[in-house]
Amino acid sequence: MSVGLQHYLVVSAVLFSLGLLGVILRRNLLVIYMGLEMMLNAANLALVAFSRFTNNLDGQVFVFFVITVAAAEVAVGLALIVALYRRRQTVHAEDLTCMKL
Amino acid sequence: MNTLLLSHELLVLALGLLVLLADLWLPRGLRRHLGYAAAAGLAGILLFSFLAIRVAPGEVQYAFFEMYALDGLALFFKRFSLLAALMVLLMSVEFAESMPTGVSEYYALTLFALLGMLLASSANDFALLFVSLELITITFYVLASFHRSRMTSLEAGVKYLIIGALSTGFTVYGIALVYGLTGKLNFNELAAVSSSLGGNRLFLFGMVLILAGLGFKIAAVPFQIWAPDVYQGAPVPTTAFLAVGSKAAGFVLLLRVLFVAVPEVSFQWGSLLIVLSAITILYGNLCAIPQRNLKRLLGYSSIAHAGYLLLGIAALSRDGQSAVLYYLGGYLFTLLGAFTVLCLVMRQVESEDIASLAGLGQRSPLLAATLTLAMVSLAGLPPLAGFVGKFLLLKSVIAQAPAQPGYYGLAFVAIAGVVISLYYYFGVIRAIYWSRTAPDLSPIQPSAPIRAALYACIAGMFYLGLFPGTLVNLTEEVVKVLR
Repeated sequence: MSVGLQHYLVVSAVLFSLGLLGVILRRNLLVIYMGLEMMLNAANLALVAFSRFTNNLDGQVFVFFVITVAAAEVAVGLALIVALYRRRQTVHAEDLTCMKL
Repeated sequence: MNTLLLSHELLVLALGLLVLLADLWLPRGLRRHLGYAAAAGLAGILLFSFLAIRVAPGEVQYAFFEMYALDGLALFFKRFSLLAALMVLLMSVEFAESMPTGVSEYYALTLFALLGMLLASSANDFALLFVSLELITITFYVLASFHRSRMTSLEAGVKYLIIGALSTGFTVYGIALVYGLTGKLNFNELAAVSSSLGGNRLFLFGMVLILAGLGFKIAAVPFQIWAPDVYQGAPVPTTAFLAVGSKAAGFVLLLRVLFVAVPEVSFQWGSLLIVLSAITILYGNLCAIPQRNLKRLLGYSSIAHAGYLLLGIAALSRDGQSAVLYYLGGYLFTLLGAFTVLCLVMRQVESEDIASLAGLGQRSPLLAATLTLAMVSLAGLPPLAGFVGKFLLLKSVIAQAPAQPGYYGLAFVAIAGVVISLYYYFGVIRAIYWSRTAPDLSPIQPSAPIRAALYACIAGMFYLGLFPGTLVNLTEEVVKVLR
């Protein structure tokens, strides 16, 4: 069996859905954040696969941008989550309830 | 390549770096006033933009392999963001007193967010769209949670982070699908091939994902969920910048994607846009009714205004697009005036409840008048800017109605929304002048730059409400680059 574009796309779609499920179902902010990163990497996989199978390098260059931006996002995001933990000793989404109505 | 094309961005970047550097050498007591220097720098850039940058009507100049486009539309939004950032910086100087550390970083981050908005107004390629969108969003994660010692601010930052990252994931996956089917990232190249892809489900799915990411920026239903919490928790200048600059950046990208990259597809999406716009208007207005926290109230009202602005996009016509630009122009003065007042009042009373406005009419007539006029303009009553904006938007929608009866329904929903909004906007005005109990009647003395900014906001609201001709001509000229 040769591995074609469809296989990559199926893996990418599965990864994306798993990431989305993680964001929706899990309650720990760090796990939610991991799910978000997985969604970005699913998109990267799709981009690279498309790029490879259509012989067009734009997609691969775009992936570099996505990786760089994701790194910046993680740096800020983890710092925020750490700041939250210091203050509340918790990283659970249910505990973020000081603003209501 | 002509570097003059990027002069706005380069100057703002240089200014941001200068602010960061100046922080190293300035004594602690002077750092707060760095905000005035940064605002003066932005005023200089704005002046330079009006004097030196010219684009002929309908002409588009490109840089970086057509990734970056400078046309009338881009220039309009660049000047818009510069003006918004200028007023936000003046506001942050007032706000800086309550900030423990890192005041200069706050100014610098505001400038970097502005840089993202400047790039977004020129984005003509999905790569630049993504990078500029993220530059804005990631900077706002920090700006929203800048008050680290306050739980609400941290919580606002974390909520914005999770929902923002989620929308980034959607956008990138959408771009991947569109790229995979067409092999293009550039809007001009995409426009050439998108007409044949109007029936391709995967392509449409990709476009929906991209629109989801932009819907998050403008806080449209169903991606509005973050807005009230973030508006309430974030520091006031951040909220103001989020409500004006970030929303405008979302709209310019939406206009470019819908009417430059995939015009054929968006013309099929009339009914989808009608439904989104109607639900957003109703959701924002109905949820705003029971709110007691002023910033949260403005959060819901900003959702409602995203809905009104979507009217112009749903109209799928030049008139609609030009009305969106006009409405944003009026919205800038109105909202920044309102937030400047909030910034000053809340600094003194440490409460964000509507009741804390009690007696403002006696404490400072100028602040009370600005907030009253802003509320009247937000509600859309003549003779202020909000009225003309809403009138143009409704006119563009009704002009399309003979072809598609759904537009009548949309216009009806929009008018119903305006009527609902009168209730809560006038609740604010009542609190200013007719509260029975006013615990604190000490006068509030705004500083000279803030007074100037407030007078500018009042003048802007009246000018755009009484003499709409100039700006209408400009916006009609500017949208000619769109389809």
